Amino acid sequence: MIILLAVTEATAIVCGATFGKLSDGIFNGLAFLGNMYPPDWSAFPEMLEPALQSIIIAFLGTVFGTIISVVFALLAANNLANPWVRNITRVFIAIERSIPEIIILILLVAAFGLGAMPGVVALSIGCIGMLGKLLADIIEEIDPLMIEAIESVGGNKIQVIIFGVLPQIMPNLISYALFRFEINIRLSVLLGAVGAGGVGYELEYSFGMLQYHRAFTAVIIIIAMVFGTERLSYFLRKKVKTEGALT
Amino acid sequence: MTAIDFTLPSKKFKDKTTVFAVGTVVVALCCIYTNFNPLAFFMEFHNVRDLLGEMLPPNYRTLTDDPSTGYAILQTLCMAFLGSLYGGIIAVIIAFLAASNTMPLKSVRMIARFTLSFLRVIPIVVVILIFVIAVGPSTFAGMLALVIVTIGNFGKLFTEIIENVESPPAEAIYSVGASRMQVIRYSIIPQILPTLIANMLFAFDVNIRSAIALGIFGGGGIGFKLQLAKSVLHYKDVAAIVSLIIIMVILTEKISDYLRRKILGEGKLK
Repeated sequence: MIILLAVTEATAIVCGATFGKLSDGIFNGLAFLGNMYPPDWSAFPEMLEPALQSIIIAFLGTVFGTIISVVFALLAANNLANPWVRNITRVFIAIERSIPEIIILILLVAAFGLGAMPGVVALSIGCIGMLGKLLADIIEEIDPLMIEAIESVGGNKIQVIIFGVLPQIMPNLISYALFRFEINIRLSVLLGAVGAGGVGYELEYSFGMLQYHRAFTAVIIIIAMVFGTERLSYFLRKKVKTEGALT
Repeated sequence: MTAIDFTLPSKKFKDKTTVFAVGTVVVALCCIYTNFNPLAFFMEFHNVRDLLGEMLPPNYRTLTDDPSTGYAILQTLCMAFLGSLYGGIIAVIIAFLAASNTMPLKSVRMIARFTLSFLRVIPIVVVILIFVIAVGPSTFAGMLALVIVTIGNFGKLFTEIIENVESPPAEAIYSVGASRMQVIRYSIIPQILPTLIANMLFAFDVNIRSAIALGIFGGGGIGFKLQLAKSVLHYKDVAAIVSLIIIMVILTEKISDYLRRKILGEGKLK
């Protein structure tokens, strides 16, 4: 307990966190929010397209990311790949998981320039760490009888994967992909602010130009977008769960 | 029934094909709309190669010559630590107000639940941009943003944990005349404590990553260093910082994993 208090105090000093600053900050923040208050509805129509762009970036990132993750998951499952391939893939997935998406994006923007493309690629690569590990664990737990049955009638490795593995992991795959889509929507806003375009860019731009009323409109759109996709993905996941064969 | 019926594709197969075809068309349309060409990534791969060529070998001198890099890492760690600690504590308090077995008043419960779900949908970029203006670009702003995000992410989870405690111990204490506060103190808190601490460690994991992103928007710490090195095109420094970040994230993940396993193993709840 004492150690915890000491550590807290030390970290607070490093961060420069004091209560005086906090109380000042609260007044400043409230004044600022009051400044933002009437949202600029005239900017609303021109922000719909960036919002759509953000959603599409997240969608494409999820689709391509899921496809890549399935490949990595197949390589990382111990019942399909040989131990060498498996270990190397697992290490790769673990390293990828520890790189934040925003760093991938910064590097990609440096390589390819601004635009939707680095955003989509960054999100796709970001999927590998999470989906790859989850799917690999699921593939390792599938029913081996189905694989044996297909092998015994002469199916090769690809046929085993298509007819034996994929149907078994499909429900889980879809629900994880939907979950990842939710995360990607948030990330696409974040990435947009760094240079992937979309509504995140609008937000950053409005803040930079000190057009706070416009920024407030962007905030409202973002919140609506995140809330909407969260509900949608929750609904779809529930549906997949009741209709799917597994879980 | 003729033989043709058997050779024709089954209804299930047709359905699957339709779904697949529609999906492909939608993906293709989206690609065209955003000018995203998946092949371009491979066709213009020389860009990535050039960048890697500029980044390698990483310039670790920037770490030894410039003590502020080490300090920046410390700042990021502190930001994540304080954000998880205060965010976690506030989240627990709100969770107690939102759980149906600790808060008898329905109106308070509704308000607490609404607060939690509202905080959950605000993205971290918005929070940090507002705090940077409120308290100035500093580690402090990043820490406050992390507090808000932690409350949003973990408040609902904590509420569910509190609602799922076993009721017999609480009833036993209540039946010997304990007040509501005493029931919470002696029956609910001992039951949820290990899970709460484990979840706070998890929050620390998540917050480390967010803290790096926050640095780029003015939250200070190693993310800010990274942004700085990138904007002056010192890609060798960028490579060194990125490798440091990876090591930092993996290390904190391992430590919090170890602590979590220890706490959950020692606690009553598994």
